Amino acid sequence: MSQDTSNSPEKDAIVRASIDRSLRHPVMFFFTSGAAWLAVSIVLGVIASAKNHSPDFLSGCAWLTYGRVFPAHINALIYGWGAQAAFGVIIWLMSRLSRQECRAAGTILTAGHIWNLGVSLGILGILSGHGTGMPWMEFPFFAWPVLLISYTAIVIWSLVQFRVRPSGHTYISQWFLVASVIWFPWVYLTANVLLHCMSGHPVMAAGINAWFRSAILLLFFLPVGIGTAFYLVPKVTGKPIYSYTLAQIGFWSLAIIAPWTGMQKLTGAPIPYFPPYLGAAATVLIAIPAFTVAANLIATALSSGETVSHSPTLRFTLAGLVCLALFGGAAVFLNLPNSTLPLTQFSLSGYGFDILGLYGFFSLVMFGAIYFIVPRITRREWLSRRLIKMHFFLSVYGVVTVALVALFGGLQQGIGQEQFDQGWDNAAARATPYAIATTLAWCFILFSNVFFFMHLTLMWLRLGRRSSHPTLLVDSHHSSPHGPEGDIDNAGPGTAAASAH
Amino acid sequence: MSDPIQKPDLDDSINVTETHGRIARQAAAAARENKLGEDGTQPVSLWLFLALAVVLIIAGGVLGSSGSLFAYGTSFREGYVRKPAPGKKDEGPQAKIALVAYSAKGAKIYSAKCGGCHGPGGQGDGANYPSLAGSAWVKGETERFAMIVLNGLQGPTSTGKAYGAAGMPAQGGGMSPEDLAGVMTFLRNGFGNTVGDVVTVDMAKAAMEISGKRAKTGQQVDAVELEADHKKNLPGDPLDPNILVDPVTLAPAAAK
Repeated sequence: MSQDTSNSPEKDAIVRASIDRSLRHPVMFFFTSGAAWLAVSIVLGVIASAKNHSPDFLSGCAWLTYGRVFPAHINALIYGWGAQAAFGVIIWLMSRLSRQECRAAGTILTAGHIWNLGVSLGILGILSGHGTGMPWMEFPFFAWPVLLISYTAIVIWSLVQFRVRPSGHTYISQWFLVASVIWFPWVYLTANVLLHCMSGHPVMAAGINAWFRSAILLLFFLPVGIGTAFYLVPKVTGKPIYSYTLAQIGFWSLAIIAPWTGMQKLTGAPIPYFPPYLGAAATVLIAIPAFTVAANLIATALSSGETVSHSPTLRFTLAGLVCLALFGGAAVFLNLPNSTLPLTQFSLSGYGFDILGLYGFFSLVMFGAIYFIVPRITRREWLSRRLIKMHFFLSVYGVVTVALVALFGGLQQGIGQEQFDQGWDNAAARATPYAIATTLAWCFILFSNVFFFMHLTLMWLRLGRRSSHPTLLVDSHHSSPHGPEGDIDNAGPGTAAASAH
Repeated sequence: MSDPIQKPDLDDSINVTETHGRIARQAAAAARENKLGEDGTQPVSLWLFLALAVVLIIAGGVLGSSGSLFAYGTSFREGYVRKPAPGKKDEGPQAKIALVAYSAKGAKIYSAKCGGCHGPGGQGDGANYPSLAGSAWVKGETERFAMIVLNGLQGPTSTGKAYGAAGMPAQGGGMSPEDLAGVMTFLRNGFGNTVGDVVTVDMAKAAMEISGKRAKTGQQVDAVELEADHKKNLPGDPLDPNILVDPVTLAPAAAK
């Protein structure tokens, strides 16, 4: 933000505050309704995971059979929580980085309600047995135009703001956010038109669907998370990004590699021989943007270690970045032909990989962003550091358990599946202990998000602390569990007054 | 936004204390923010470059292990013969009970030869093609049924109604005794018909001999001939419908 240097800090603060104010309704709406969908998704995830090891659990009700609960779980996670958290962060960050107040808050809010209506009807459609059966696209046919139109009405203003931004530099986060805003409709429109409106060969349709899953994860959720992390880490630490060149490598490698991934899901399917291998090689290469981004930002943050342990935002973001590095490692590990590739595409491993990306990286960074953004738009500070700590530890332990257990359990399950002279129950039995562990870990995540949702609801009701002190995760010796309260002296991290505490 | 700070003479036009107070009360979080910096020029660590090089090599290996990318010869082998799994004997297909094995074979023949006219459910169309479900000639004496399948039918059917002038064409050409036995068993036990017996391969062979010795060989049968000459069951030993047979040859198989 080189053009700001001539401005006084007061003016900066007032510009920031007025941008925050212009966006408070839509952003809070996306965060709270997203968090509600997250809770719904996790409950459905616990039920679906329990059915992996106890098939009779809740089997009396057709609405709660695995074939409906699992797609409802993953679709609520993607379109209910993931997309809405992304919208909230995109519109806020794009306004902040373009230094433009939002002039379409009402339109965005309306479109957000329509998006929620579409997602609600879609989930009900899945649960009532009208799902399409295409992974990550299970919403009945009516949903996708509704979602695409409301998506456009939500993010188009961010592109307008980007277009009229003060001329000059484009910050790293803006590369990733603008790219993801443009990639999402490309991927979503292509897959839905090809699969819903054109009749092609069904095997190729499965290939397009596999590409869609991969592209939504790697061309939307990954860049949104990365762009957000590139904002949060230097913002909170006050340090410049470790290496600008590395950030460029991360962006262009993601942009070039990610569209090629996906077809490895069809390994062994009767399609031309090269797409699965091309997809596997491209997925291996995803480790390059993952490693460069994670290394760049972790190196940026590590130079200010105390801030990392005190700031909720940084803690969540860094945990997300560690998961991003794990995600890159898993992308290499799961796609080795003749060893892991045939074992992992029809087992728990693929699920573990998706959850590592969607929850381990993307959602943790979104939590970090929410802990950063919400105090600014509500003008209240978070109530309790204990609630934040519970959310952090249970979430991190939970997601690492889900992802790693599903990755390795999936390998075991895959080995069982390859033994074609044994019954299928052999493969199921091999995966059972891992499935039980996954259910338990989802329960941890559910528990953690109960705290989060409660905390966020209190903030939404404007019951947060009125203070100029951020809620930091310090084990202070103050008598109050919430830190210094009501102490309006505008001291913050990085100022002399804050360092004294 | 009306921005008082835009005014040229800041100190005179706004109350500085009040502005500070406003920021402190309303924009404390925004005021304590750091500026974004991205101009880090730290050298990229050698370890990271090595890790990326390893990733590149692995990805190259993945792509390389696909052989020549467009060569169908590697995945679709010509002249492929099914082989037993390592350490296993080739025991052939698993034996099935006779009624199931005969009907499964017959279902394939039906969908290839009969379903086009009589319909996938055997229901016919009521105008040109009679229904096979509940037909007295399908469920009745096997020789009469076999003669219709092998030679075709002219004139009225078992219900007395005639369907079309051309009648049913002969279906015996290219049919093996196994095919005939299968399709007859399938029809007598499918589409709601529940005779419960199996028309064996031996019976089907006998039916073909009888068909070849007919007085009007090569012509369609009609109701008069059927009732006069063929109203009887085919010769041959009946087969227990629950005995195990080989699903390919339909020969009785010992339980494994």
